Amino acid sequence: MSDQPDETGKGSHRLRFGAGLLVGTLLVAAVGHRLLTSSLGETARFGEDRRAVVSLRALTDVVARAGSGEAIRTVVAGFAKWHPQVAATRVVLFDGISLDASTDSADTGENAPPRRLKREEKDLYDRGQRLRAAIETNRAEGGGRKDEVEKERLPDGSVSLAAPIERDGEVVGMVEIRRVPPPPAPRPSLLTTLSYVVAPVLLFAVLALVIGERRLPLGVLAALLLAGTVWGYGAQSWAKLSRARTALEADVAGQVKTSAARAQELLGTLAATAAPVPETPAPETAPEVAHAVPPAPLDPASWDSDAFRRPLGLSDGAGRVDEAKVAATLEAAKTAVRQTTILLGALALVLAGFIGLGGLAALLGTLKTHRVAYSYVLPAMVGMVLLVFFPFVYGIVLSFTDQTIYNSNAPLTEIWVGFKNYVSILTDFRVAKTAADGGLVFNYQNFYWTLWVTIAWTVTNVTYGVVVGLILALVLNTKGLALKPAYRVLLILPWAMPNYITALIWQGMFHQQFGVVNQVVQMFGMDPVSWFEKPATSFFTAWATNGWLSFPFMMVISLGALQSIPSDLYEAARVDGASRWQQFRSITLPSLKPALVPAVILSVVWTFNMFNIIFLVTAGQPAGSTEILITQSYKFAFEKYQYGYAAAYSTVIFGILLIYGVFQNRMTKGTEAI
Amino acid sequence: MKLSRLALPLLFAALAAPALAQKEVVVWHAYRAEEKAALEKVVAGYNQANAAKGVKVTTLAVPYDAFADKITAAVPRGKGPDIFIYAQDRLGGWIEAGKTVEPIDFFLDKATIARFIPTTMEAMTYRGTVYGLPLNYKVITLIYNKKLLPTPPKTSRELVAMAKKLTDAKSGRFGLAYSYSDFYYHAALQNAFGGRVFDPGPKPVLNAPENVKALELLMRWFTVDGILPAEPSTALITSLFNGGKAAMVFSGPWFLGEIAKEIDYGLAPLPTIDEAGGKPMRPWMTVEGVYVTAPSQNKDAAYAFAKYLTDTPQAKVMAVEGRQTPANNSVYADPAVSGDAILSAFRKQVEVAVPMPNLPEMTMVWSPATTAMNTIVKKAATPKAAMDQAQAAVLKDVAALRKK
Amino acid sequence: MSLFSSRSRAGADEPPHFPMHVLLVLATLYAIYPVLWVLSIAFSGKQSLAIADVPSDPTFWDRLRAVIPWPADVSLSNFSAVFADQPFATWILNSAIVSVATTVLGVFLACTAAYAFSRFRFPGRQSGMMSFLVSQMFPGTLMLIPLYIILVKWLNLGSTRTGLVLAYSTTAIPFCVWMLKGYFDTIPRDLEEAALIDGASPATIFWRIVLPLAKPAVAVTALFSFMTGWNEFILAATLIDKETMYTAPVGLRFFVGGFSQQWGFFAAGAVIVSIPVVALFLYLQKYLVSGLTAGSVKG
Repeated sequence: MSDQPDETGKGSHRLRFGAGLLVGTLLVAAVGHRLLTSSLGETARFGEDRRAVVSLRALTDVVARAGSGEAIRTVVAGFAKWHPQVAATRVVLFDGISLDASTDSADTGENAPPRRLKREEKDLYDRGQRLRAAIETNRAEGGGRKDEVEKERLPDGSVSLAAPIERDGEVVGMVEIRRVPPPPAPRPSLLTTLSYVVAPVLLFAVLALVIGERRLPLGVLAALLLAGTVWGYGAQSWAKLSRARTALEADVAGQVKTSAARAQELLGTLAATAAPVPETPAPETAPEVAHAVPPAPLDPASWDSDAFRRPLGLSDGAGRVDEAKVAATLEAAKTAVRQTTILLGALALVLAGFIGLGGLAALLGTLKTHRVAYSYVLPAMVGMVLLVFFPFVYGIVLSFTDQTIYNSNAPLTEIWVGFKNYVSILTDFRVAKTAADGGLVFNYQNFYWTLWVTIAWTVTNVTYGVVVGLILALVLNTKGLALKPAYRVLLILPWAMPNYITALIWQGMFHQQFGVVNQVVQMFGMDPVSWFEKPATSFFTAWATNGWLSFPFMMVISLGALQSIPSDLYEAARVDGASRWQQFRSITLPSLKPALVPAVILSVVWTFNMFNIIFLVTAGQPAGSTEILITQSYKFAFEKYQYGYAAAYSTVIFGILLIYGVFQNRMTKGTEAI
Repeated sequence: MKLSRLALPLLFAALAAPALAQKEVVVWHAYRAEEKAALEKVVAGYNQANAAKGVKVTTLAVPYDAFADKITAAVPRGKGPDIFIYAQDRLGGWIEAGKTVEPIDFFLDKATIARFIPTTMEAMTYRGTVYGLPLNYKVITLIYNKKLLPTPPKTSRELVAMAKKLTDAKSGRFGLAYSYSDFYYHAALQNAFGGRVFDPGPKPVLNAPENVKALELLMRWFTVDGILPAEPSTALITSLFNGGKAAMVFSGPWFLGEIAKEIDYGLAPLPTIDEAGGKPMRPWMTVEGVYVTAPSQNKDAAYAFAKYLTDTPQAKVMAVEGRQTPANNSVYADPAVSGDAILSAFRKQVEVAVPMPNLPEMTMVWSPATTAMNTIVKKAATPKAAMDQAQAAVLKDVAALRKK
Repeated sequence: MSLFSSRSRAGADEPPHFPMHVLLVLATLYAIYPVLWVLSIAFSGKQSLAIADVPSDPTFWDRLRAVIPWPADVSLSNFSAVFADQPFATWILNSAIVSVATTVLGVFLACTAAYAFSRFRFPGRQSGMMSFLVSQMFPGTLMLIPLYIILVKWLNLGSTRTGLVLAYSTTAIPFCVWMLKGYFDTIPRDLEEAALIDGASPATIFWRIVLPLAKPAVAVTALFSFMTGWNEFILAATLIDKETMYTAPVGLRFFVGGFSQQWGFFAAGAVIVSIPVVALFLYLQKYLVSGLTAGSVKG
């Protein structure tokens, strides 16, 4: 990059910084415009949904107080009259799987309620059951985990909501409303946004003429202009958003007030119709319920609620907004906008700087100069990027959330927890505590214990594999040794056979009474060992298995690598009177390095993440003391269903290996020729 | 030109006709050998009967070890089958994860519900909603070597007395052998004492006093009576029984396929436990359900087949030819089934069986419970202390899921 | 060349072969002992794993007999059952197709990339090499679902051999690249430079000069790539939705899933599955024996 200015040099600082500023402002404008549009849309939808929830909960409360099917139909009809924004209302009662009221245009004539639900309407019934299960679950767990008011956005932009009908604390049915598609949300004007590009660029053009080809002032100017643009756009966005949000709160509070009045009116008609009619056709339970529950007064303030029917408490039910609480929520929103603005600004600045300082030109130049090399590497790279790096990014993103099986469909922003998982993994240092008798008691679930086991596991296994593999390869490389092909083939058998069964055989060999290892131990007059009882011996069983499985691979690598050593090197050494050991030290080992170093590094990585053997042989026995990091992360994901935490665990594993890889590479110059 | 004008509609008709008529219902299962053959026979019969309706059922066998992962990966993305058959232990997890299993309450009528052994229906129910039709159940029972033991024990005292006579630990002979340190196998004893894992609802109670009592009895069998082998892996149990070195085994229908030909064996209900007031051992029951998947495009057809598969004539095929123990109750009235010593033995055992919990929290229990069991049988901790520790671990994991 | 080398090697300081044979025999016993247990289960005709079976108060010889893997009665029934019960031959063929394709694709892509890393100096070279290494570091526990999304949902390669080959190749490539790059580095450049002066194209140099010299490394990477595809289970079982397209490891696992553990069938299947690997190694080992580089470079 340093010699680039010479090529692209003359008169182009202005151009480059101008281009950088243009791209930067364009980025800010494009992303900002999109974010603002979606935020405004979101705010509008949020308001629409809140109003819908309020009217739905008002309706549900009245329906729950209506005893008979006839009364429910009266209420629903009355509700429909007052709510032109509601396209259709349907009431389902579980008892008899019936549709009890509907204002849907399809439910007339022979389809008119009350009737049993039809096969095509299964979803409606299931939705009601889902709400019932949700309420029971939330009660059993004492929390809010499952939506008690379901919201579904339909393809035409309208929203369909469902809320449970509760009588005596039991869910007996569901009310579903489908709203008419809302009016399009206000959109920021494109022209305004564009002015945030045109103005700074024009200003730069004019000032650049004055400044001339001076790099530093030009750069400072571009940066200032860009920062100003970002700040300006952020400020005007926030103004728009806060205005929309404040208006919304007043609007919702108004809706609560109206709904309260309407609901009272409906209750009034209910009382009027219920009194004279003695309820002959209705099932016998209905009047009973109507009498049993003294109608509790409606609580309009609770209608403006979240999905778990917990009141938001932003208004009092009589149309008054709680200003302090609204201000608090606005403050939170403001912080979010500020953070986004800063992030966007930083990104734009980096991009503009990259272009302005000549980075782009240099990059393009490099790509052109080395196109042959890149084209050789590219095919292998494409597959890697696609199949390895995408899942990898997915994993890292997941590690910043607290995704579990319960919220695996929630958007990532809702379950974002930042570095919480990492903090919880890495800052727990309670590896051991002193027991009553003064001895140390280890906490085998602790990350650092597992890390220590993993390191011991990796170091011992790789060392064993390399030493045994290398020795065997050296011996097998002896010229003129008889039976070499037979040895070689028999020696790779541990690698060739599926390790699912050989691992099990090894586990069986270490059985306390029926394993061959203890038979051999006893052959020499020693006492049998209970291998899986103590961490050290249990670790040994897994190590013995993995060592046996891994040496053939190292042997084959070494055999291949040994072929690259020209034999005349040895000859020369012999002429110089070097001993065999000296030859090995000064010729064999250095020549093996190019093939062995990568094999060792990769072996370390693989062994570190060797899931199968631990899982099959010790399964962590005793008490999880022989778990390694990868088996722990598996447990978090598939036994404890804590996906976010497991991803963080995986990312920590990755981080450790990355540090090791970089360090080892520096030390051995693994990427370099000898 | 003329030809093509004529041929084109014909071609279209030829292409469209089968596409229009065929409604394919894909079934995934984890069966092999005779179970697979029996299922395929039922499917063939169904396809023949319903060819006119244009419904065709096809099956795919997936290895058990990959089954749950494959369902989790494929079904929520709309790439899975219309029906799959699997035990209830993962059911709660799939329901909580969503987009996997379809509730079938809406389809169910009283006659269909009445078809099944009630506890198997319970296993298919999660939070008050039914998600599958039970196909078969698996329970452990007492399997004994007739040559070593002519009559099986009925009570725990008899069991211990008989087993002691047949045990010679030094030469590797044991009166009783089962994977007692495996929490699943141990549950039979635990349930005899009225022990349980969750109570009430999804609240873990691993350290319930009844659970501890059951463990204390187990430890007496192991240490004082010495009738059980150490480190009882399932592979070891099979080897001991096949070698004529274990007179009695507690195991399930899967074990029968592993018994060597020369062993003459019999089945009997698990004994009652005198120490628990003469209550019977109550094994955990796993129930394989037939589930309709949530993204299926042919839910009606899928449910129709599920209903057919679990009906009595088909249950007979699955029982007699597939060697399954059907969840369908009326099939046991059929002489071909009631006359079968093995099938009727399992039917008898299931009377006292308890459905294994299908809550997702159950997967969090296994690992701490296994650790506790191993600690106890290695005498590294008392049953109470080990179960307290397991309970704490499970509580912590459950709490981690329920933030908010 | 061979004359030259054998003369030098057969010198007086050549170590005696006897201790080497002792070492190799011991190592071989160690390597095959568990394998013999697998064989004894496979040929036992039973489903149970073998256990060391000794009388009470066993003597040294009782114990010795117990630790020698030999089935009580020899039977081929497990082998015949493996083929009769399932289309195992088809599955082995599928495995062979997938593994060979993986080997060809993996080794080819790795060769070109490794050659570039070894011979060209370009920005991003170091980080490119590192990125191959890094790709092996992220644990695979949570990767099944994203991989499924890419291969099945985005690329629509569910139930295809292409999908499997793609996944296996990318798994094998990093090691192959590093191994080959290390080996290429040891090949002197004089030959290539001479050829370049003679007017040979880079492609010709690569195919005609460098690759033949790197045969030992290619053989090792080929074996490795083959093994990557040959023994893989979970991805194959998840991606493939047709029984006729299953690979051998998928078929094998049918015998030991869940409660049921028919180890006799599994052992027989495992023995069958190992045979092609051994055959491949027998074929490849000629490249691991004679010092090709030395001869060719010296010319």
